[in-house]
Amino acid sequence: MKVPVSWLREYVAVEMPLTELVERLSVASAEVEGIERRGVPDVDGNLGFFRVGRVLEAGKHPNADRLQLCQVDVGEGEPRQIVCGAWNFGPGATVAVALPGAVLANGVKLEAAELRGQLSNGMILAEDEVELGTDHTGIMVLPDEWEPGTPLTDALPLAEDILLVESTGNRPDLMAIYGIAREVAALYDLELSPPPGRDPGVAGDEPVDVRVEDFEGCPRYIGRLFRDVRVGPSPAWLRTRLSDAGMRPISNVVDVTNYVMLALGNPLHAFDLATLKEGRIVVRRAHKGEQLRTLDGELRELEPTDLMIADAARSVALAGIMGGEETEITESTTDVLLEAANFEPYTIFRTSERLRLRTEGSNRWEKGVDPHLAPQAAALATQLIVELAGARWTGKVDVHGDLPARPVVRFRPERADDLVGLETPAEEQHARLRRLGFEVDDGSVSVPTWRARDVTREVDVVEEVARFRLGDVPFTFPLRRAMFGRLTRDQRLRRRVEDILTGLGFSEVYTPSLVEEDPDPGALRLREPITVELAVLRTALLPSLVEAARRNLELGNERIELFEVARVYEPSGGPLPVERLHLAAIMEHGYARAKGVADALAGALKAELRFTAAPHPLLHPARAARTGAGIVGELHPTRLDGEWGVLELDLGLLFEGVREPVVYEDVIGYPVVRQELAFVVDVDVPAGELFAAALAAAAPELREVRFLSDYREPPIPAGKKSIAFSVAFQSPERTLTDEDAAALRVRVIEALERDFGAELRG
Amino acid sequence: MSKNREPATVAAVDAAALEQEALAAVAAASTPAELTALRTRYLGRKSELKQALRNVRDRETGMTLNAVRERLEDAFARREADLDRSELDRALSSDGFDVTLPGEELPVGQLHPTTQVRRIVEDTFLGLGYEIRDDREVETVEYNFDKLAFPPTHSSRSPRDTFFLADDVVLRTETSPSQIHHLEAREPPVYMVSIGRVYRRDAITPTRFPIFHQFEGLAVDRGITLADLKGTLLHVMRALFGDDRRVRFRTHYFPFTEPSIEPDVSCGVCGGTGCRTCKFTGWIELGGAGMVDPRVFENVGVDPEEWSGFAFGCGPERAAQLRFGISEIRPLWSTDLRVLRQF
Ligand SMILES: [Zn+2]
Repeated sequence: MKVPVSWLREYVAVEMPLTELVERLSVASAEVEGIERRGVPDVDGNLGFFRVGRVLEAGKHPNADRLQLCQVDVGEGEPRQIVCGAWNFGPGATVAVALPGAVLANGVKLEAAELRGQLSNGMILAEDEVELGTDHTGIMVLPDEWEPGTPLTDALPLAEDILLVESTGNRPDLMAIYGIAREVAALYDLELSPPPGRDPGVAGDEPVDVRVEDFEGCPRYIGRLFRDVRVGPSPAWLRTRLSDAGMRPISNVVDVTNYVMLALGNPLHAFDLATLKEGRIVVRRAHKGEQLRTLDGELRELEPTDLMIADAARSVALAGIMGGEETEITESTTDVLLEAANFEPYTIFRTSERLRLRTEGSNRWEKGVDPHLAPQAAALATQLIVELAGARWTGKVDVHGDLPARPVVRFRPERADDLVGLETPAEEQHARLRRLGFEVDDGSVSVPTWRARDVTREVDVVEEVARFRLGDVPFTFPLRRAMFGRLTRDQRLRRRVEDILTGLGFSEVYTPSLVEEDPDPGALRLREPITVELAVLRTALLPSLVEAARRNLELGNERIELFEVARVYEPSGGPLPVERLHLAAIMEHGYARAKGVADALAGALKAELRFTAAPHPLLHPARAARTGAGIVGELHPTRLDGEWGVLELDLGLLFEGVREPVVYEDVIGYPVVRQELAFVVDVDVPAGELFAAALAAAAPELREVRFLSDYREPPIPAGKKSIAFSVAFQSPERTLTDEDAAALRVRVIEALERDFGAELRG
Repeated sequence: MSKNREPATVAAVDAAALEQEALAAVAAASTPAELTALRTRYLGRKSELKQALRNVRDRETGMTLNAVRERLEDAFARREADLDRSELDRALSSDGFDVTLPGEELPVGQLHPTTQVRRIVEDTFLGLGYEIRDDREVETVEYNFDKLAFPPTHSSRSPRDTFFLADDVVLRTETSPSQIHHLEAREPPVYMVSIGRVYRRDAITPTRFPIFHQFEGLAVDRGITLADLKGTLLHVMRALFGDDRRVRFRTHYFPFTEPSIEPDVSCGVCGGTGCRTCKFTGWIELGGAGMVDPRVFENVGVDPEEWSGFAFGCGPERAAQLRFGISEIRPLWSTDLRVLRQF
C-alpha cells in the first residue's frame, strides 16, 4: 500500500532519514519497494517560494479577453501583479501563489514575465501545478482563515513522500497506516499515538435494525445512523490524503470510509438509508438465483455460498467486496447507515474468486481483519462524518457473537535462540514482544488481537523476535552426521549426454513445456491457459525443436544443431500424467548424421541401441528408425526445407541399457586377425541384422564388425545387394591360429546363410 | 733458438690456436660450399692438422691432436646440419603462409545458461553433502498446497494465479512439493536440492514468463538453525556470483516456513552502493527461504520438537540473468543460435 509519510507522522515521530527507515522496515516488517515523491521539489528552499495570497483586485487583462489581471497581497506590503487564466475567483479570494524562482511539480522554474504587455510577477496555482489533483479548470481557492504571506506548506501539502509498502499475506495489520506506525514505533522504540478516532456524543437513540443471520460469515456488525448528512466534496486535506494513498476521492461520506480503511485497516461501507427497505440490514447468504447489480454496474449472479448484506427485501451489497448500485451514497443522500463490520476470510475469498472481483476491501478481509478493530473504525468514521458532512449521529448498534479471545501461546526464549542460532537475552525478547502489543507472562505470551490469526504457535512468536535481529544472525553450517553428496546414476548419465552433444557441436535450447497443439490428442490441456500458444502439456519435444530449427533457418543462422533435455507428460488415464525425461535433437545433414549421433551416444554411454525401420508421422517414410529408447530419422520433407536429422530418446530407457561398470577386456595380450567379408542378400535385409547375427555367431572372439560398403550395381543381380564388412577376431587367452580364424569365419558364413540366405562373394 | 724448440710443444700450442681459428671459421660459414672449402683447409689431407698428426712422435701429442680433430669433425657436422636445416626452412617458408587465418572449423556447442547455473548449484550442494532430486511437475493440490500448509485463502490457490488441469491437479507453482515427497520417502536427517520447471499464471512480459525454473533446498536435522540457512545461502551465492558477495535476510511470509525470510545478495553491478539493476537498494532479491514450518513436519510425520530444518527456493533464470548480464527473460527462452552461442 501507499503510505504518505505525513500521515504516518500523525501516529509516530518519523524523524530518521527515510532511506534508513525504508531499509529497516524492509528487513524487519514489510518490503518497501520505493519512495514516491509527489508535489513540488522539496530542495534548495523551494517551498519558501510558495505563499498564501489574497486577491485585492481582479479584472480583465487590457489586451486579452481570456486573462485576468490581479493584484495579490502575498504579505510583502506591496501587492504583486499577477496575470491569471482562471475565472473561478474574484477580489477577496484566498489563493495559493508561487513566486518567481519557484520550481513547480513538473520541474519548470517560474520566472517573472510579461504576458500580453503586462508584468506577471508570480502565479496563482491550480491543483495540478503542485500535483494535489489533476484539475486545471480553475485555481485553488483556500479557506479565508489563512493570512496572506503564510507559507503555503502550512495550508497545503505541497510535497509528500510516499512509501510503497508491500506487506505479506499474513500481515493484514500492515495494510493500514496505523499498523505501519506500530511497526515503526517498535523498530525505533518510539512512542505510538493512540489509534485515531473518538466517538463524538450520540445525538439520539434511534434504533438501528441490524440482523445477522450468519455469525460464521459475519462475526460482527456495527451499524450507525446519520441524519441531515450533506454529501459533497471532501476538504482538500482528505482528498490529498486519499490520492496520495492511491485512491480516487469521490464524496465526503465515501471518502471517509476509504480514509478509515487506509488509516486502520477495517473496510467500511455506507448505505443511503432511504434506499434500504424498512431501513433494515440483514446479513445472510444469497438465495438461489438471486442477482445484484454492483457499484461497477455489473449484474452479478449470486450463489448460496455468497455472504450478502440485504435489507428487508433483497440483497444490497456483496458483503466485504462491493456495494450495490441501488443503495450507494449519492449527492441527494441525506440519511446514512454506516457499516463497520467484520467478515470471515474464506467466505469473502471464495466469492471474490468466483466473481473474479478483487477490491481494496476483499483484499483485506481475505487476509483476516481483527474483529476487535470495528469499534475503533466506527468511531473514526463517525467523528469525520459529523465533522465533514455536518451530520447528526442518531443511532448505533453492535451485533456480534462470541468474539475470539487473545491467543495465549507457550513461549520459551531459549527455543528462539535454538532455532535462530543467535542468543538474545530473554528480557530483550520480552521487551520487543511488548512493544508489538504482546503481553508477556511466565512461559507464555498473549497475542494482540490484530495478530491473532498469524501468531498461534511458539514458532510464530520466535519469528516476531527473530525478524528484528536478522542482520545479527551469524553465518554457520549445519553440524553433519549424514552425507548424501553424489549424483544418482541417471543424473550422472544425463550430464554425460549433455556433454557429448555439446562436444559434437550441438547447442542446448530450452523450449516451453506448454505448446499450442500436441501430436497426441489425449495430451493434457490447461483449463485456463493465458495464451493459445501455451495450452497443452507436450508429449514430445521434437515438434518444439523443429520450430526452433525453422526459426534459425529463417534468421539465416548456419550449422544448425540443437538439442533439449526436458520432461514430457504422457496421459496415463489417471489424474497425473506419466512424466518422462526425454532428449531430442535436430541437425543438418539428414539421416546419416542423426544415426551417427545416436551411435556416438550409445558408444560413449556403452549402451546398446538396436535400430529397426519404423514409420513415424514426423519422419521421412523410408528414413525412420525406432530403437528401444525412441526414434531416429530424417524429418519428413514437408516439415522443413532441407534434409534434417532428428532423434528423440527417452533417457530413462536409454540409461537402462547402459552397461555399468565397464569390464576390461584384454586387447593387447594377443594379436588381432582381420578379415574382410562380403555377402549378397536381398535388398530388404537390414545390414544391422547381418552384423548382429555375425557377432552372435562368432562370439566372443569376434570383437568388432565394421561396415565397408553396400553395393547394388552389376554384377549384383537386381533385388540383391552386396554388403561388405570387416571383422576382427581376437582372444584374450591365446593367439588365434589360422585354423581358429578360419573356423570363426565359417561360423559367420553359416549363420548368415542360414538366417538370411546370404551368399558369400568370392 | 727455433732449432731448440720441442716439436711436441710446438704442435700443442699450434693445435689450440688452430682449433680456435677453425671453430670460428666454421661458425662463420654461411653456405655448404664455404663449409666444404673450410673442411679441406682444416681437415683435408694437406691440412696443417693432418700434417702434424703424421709427424707425431709421442703419445701425448697424438692424443691431443686427435682430440682436436674429433672436435673439429663434430663442429663441421653440426654446422652442416644447421645449414641444411636453414636451407630446408627457407624452402618451406617460401609460400607466404598466413598463420592468422582461421583454423579448421570444429563444431563446439554449449550448454544453455540455465543448465550452466544448474550445474554450479548442483555441484555446490554436492560439495555440501546434499543429494539432488528431480520431481514431477504436474502435482496434486494436496502436494502443491495442502501438505505445504497453504491457508485456504492463499492467492496461489486461485486459478487466476495457478494453472489447473483438474479441480485437484495443478502445474506445480514451486519446487516445494519436493520437500513433502522427500520427507515422505526418507527419515531425517535429510539434505537435498530439487531443481526443475515451475509454472505461474503470469502474463508474458519482457521480464516474466509463465514457465521458469527453481532450485529448492531442504535440510532437516537435529539443531538446524536460521544461522545455518544464512551460512549455506552465502556459500551458494558466492559459488554463483563470486567471493565478494554478501547476503542479507529480510522478513517475509511463506506458508511452509516459519520464520520466513527472503535472502538478498549484494548487487554485483554497483557493489552495493545502488544502481539501476538493484533499484538503488544495493541488494538483489533471489528467492524465498525459512525454517520448515512445524505444520509441514506434522504433515509428514516428523516430530518438530526433535527435528528442525531450513528450506529455500531460488530461480536459476534470475541467477543466469545476473551472471550473464541479461536484463530480460526472453533470451533465456530463445532458440536463436546467435543468442545461444554467446554462452
Ligand atoms: Zn546495484
